[in-house]
Amino acid sequence: MRTLLGRLILAATMFAVFAGAAAWAADVNDLLFEGADHHFRGLVDQAIVKFQEALRLDPENEYAHNQLGILYAKKERYDDAFREFSKVVEIDGRNTFAHLWLGILYLRKNDLDRGFTKFNEVIALDPGNADAYYFIGAIYNIRHNPVKAIEYLKKARDADSEEAETHYRLGTAFSNLDMVHNALLEYDRTMALKPTHTKAMNDMGWILYNQGKVDEAVDEWKKVLETNPKDRDAQSNLAKAYGDMALKLQSEGKTKEAVRYWKQMLSVQPGNKAAVYYLKKYQ
Amino acid sequence: MDRRTFLHLLGKGALVSSVAGLFPDLLFGQSAFDLGLQGQELIQNGEYAKAVEVLQKAVAMDPSSDWAYGLLGRAYRGLGKTAEAVDAFRQALRINPEDTYSRWMVEMMTQKPIPKLPKKEKPRSPLELQAEEEEKRVLGRLASKESLEYQVKRVVVDAGHGGFDSGAVGLSGLKEKDVTLELATRLHRRLEAGGRVKSFLTRTGDYYIPLSDRTAVANQYQADLFISIHINANENRKANGSETYYCAEKASNQEAARVAEFENSVLKFDEEFKKEEGFISIEEILFHFEQRMYWKESGSFAGRFQEKFKTDLPFRSRGVNSANFFVLRRAKMPSILLETGFISNPEDESKLKTPAFLDRVADSVFRGIA
Repeated sequence: MRTLLGRLILAATMFAVFAGAAAWAADVNDLLFEGADHHFRGLVDQAIVKFQEALRLDPENEYAHNQLGILYAKKERYDDAFREFSKVVEIDGRNTFAHLWLGILYLRKNDLDRGFTKFNEVIALDPGNADAYYFIGAIYNIRHNPVKAIEYLKKARDADSEEAETHYRLGTAFSNLDMVHNALLEYDRTMALKPTHTKAMNDMGWILYNQGKVDEAVDEWKKVLETNPKDRDAQSNLAKAYGDMALKLQSEGKTKEAVRYWKQMLSVQPGNKAAVYYLKKYQ
Repeated sequence: MDRRTFLHLLGKGALVSSVAGLFPDLLFGQSAFDLGLQGQELIQNGEYAKAVEVLQKAVAMDPSSDWAYGLLGRAYRGLGKTAEAVDAFRQALRINPEDTYSRWMVEMMTQKPIPKLPKKEKPRSPLELQAEEEEKRVLGRLASKESLEYQVKRVVVDAGHGGFDSGAVGLSGLKEKDVTLELATRLHRRLEAGGRVKSFLTRTGDYYIPLSDRTAVANQYQADLFISIHINANENRKANGSETYYCAEKASNQEAARVAEFENSVLKFDEEFKKEEGFISIEEILFHFEQRMYWKESGSFAGRFQEKFKTDLPFRSRGVNSANFFVLRRAKMPSILLETGFISNPEDESKLKTPAFLDRVADSVFRGIA
C-alpha cells in the first residue's frame, strides 16, 4: 500500500514537474517571442516589460539580458545596458554578442583601449566574427591607419560581405592610400547594398574629381542631393567644383562662362560669399 | 485569420493536423506549399533530416517563400546544423523583414560563435581584376604596426582669407591674406621636401574660398590633419603673441565661446544623426566617437604646435584655446587654426614681411607635424 501510494505520489510529482517545466518553457519562449516582436516594432517599453518578465522565470536567459541591454541603450540608460551585457558575460563568457556590445559601449564612453580590447576578445572567441573585425577596422580608420584598417575590414568583408558600412569604410581606407580601383570597387559594393549611401557617393565623387572626371563627379554629388537635398557635404563638394571651374575660366579671361558656374555655385550654396561677390562684380 | 496568426499557429503545429485531416491529399502534392506542410509535419515528428530534404525542394520550387525558409531553418536547427539554420532564417528575413520568428532565431543563435558556410566563388568583374592587381602592387609594399597612435600622412594647409577678403591689414599695409599664403606655401614646400607627408593647399593664389570649401578640400584629399593659418589682429596695437585654436565640445574660455558663436551663427546645424527616440545606431555611436577622437587629437596637435612656437619663435605664447566651430566640426580629421603673431602690432608686422622670418614660422609648424 505504501509502495503504491509512494508510486502515485512520485507519478503525480513527476507529472507536476514535467507539466510545470513544459509550461515554464512555453511561457518563457512566448515572452521572448513577444518581446522580440515588440522590439522589432519599436515598442521599446512593452518589449522591456516582456524581457523582464522572461527573466523572472529564467534569470539566466542570455537572450533576454542581451535584448534588455539593447533596449536600455535605446532609452539612453547606458549604465543599465552595460549591466545587462556584463551579466551575460558572467553567465557565459562565450557570448560574443554581449562582448561586442560592451566594446561598443566603451567606445561611446570614449574608452578606445577598452573597446579595442573587447573586440579583440571577441576575435579570440570567434575568429570568424565579422562585427569584431569591422569595429577594429573602423578604429584603425579613425586613427588614420589605413594599412591596418584594410587588413581588418577585409576580414570583416570576407566573413560577411552583406554589410554596406564594411565596404564603405574599406573604400575610405583604400582611398586614403590612393588605391582608387579598390576604393571604387568597395564604394560600388556599398551602393549595391545600399543605393542611398550618400557618404559613399560623396567620396566616390572626389575620386572621380581627382582623376579629372569632373562631370562624372558632379553627377555623383547631384545624385546625393536627389537622395538628400540637405546633404551639406554634397553641397560643399559641388560648390567647390563649380568654384574651381569658375576661377579657372576667370583666370583665362572667360568671364561669361565663369558667371555661369558662379550662378551654379550659388544655387547649391545660397549665400556663398565668393559667388555673391563675383556675380556682383561681373554681371 | 491573418497571415501572421496563421504562421504563428502553424509554427506551433496547431494547423497541421487540421489541414491534414481536412485535405489529406495536400500532404502528398508537389506544390511548394504542400511540401512546406509536409516538412512542418516531419519537424513535429523530429524527422529533421527528411524535413530538410523536403523543405529544400520547397524553397527550390518557391524561392520567395519566407515561410518555407523559416521551416528549413527549424529543420536544420533540429539537426544541430547551426550555420545552415542561420543561413535559412536569414534568407527568410531577407524575403520578409517582418518575420519575427526568424529574426528571433538569428539573434539567439548568433549570440555565440557559429561555424561558417563555405563561400561560392563568382567570376570576377574587370574592376575586381584591376583592384586585385592594384592590391598586389601597392599593399604588399606597405606595412604598419598594431599601434593605435594617430597617423599623419596627408596634410591640408589652408591659407586664411584671400581675394576680396584681405583679412586684417597692418599699419604699413601688409595684408593678412598675403602673409597666410606665403606661410602656407612655405610650409607646403617644406612638407613636400620632407617626403614623409603629402601636402595639399586649399588655395595657391590670391582668390577667395568660402570656409565650407576649405574643409571640402580636406575631405577631397582624405587629409589626416587640417591646418588653417591666420594672423591675429587687435585694436590694441601692443597686443602680440601666438595662439592656437582647435575644435572641441566646450569652449576653453568666454572669448573662445564668443568667437565660435559668431562663426556658427551664419550656419545651420546639420540633421545628420538626429536623435530618434527608441532608436540606436552603431554608426551614430562610431560617428560621435570619431568626432570626439578628432577633437582630442586636435587638442594634442594644438598643444604641440604651441609648444614649438614657444621655443622657436620670438612671440609671447597666448596658449591654446578651444571652441565648437561648426566648420571645423565637419572636418573628418583633426583640425587646428594657427594665429602666428599680430599684424596689428607694428613690430610683428615688420617681422612678418621678412622671408627669413616666414621660413622660421613654417619650420616651426613643420616640426609640430613631424
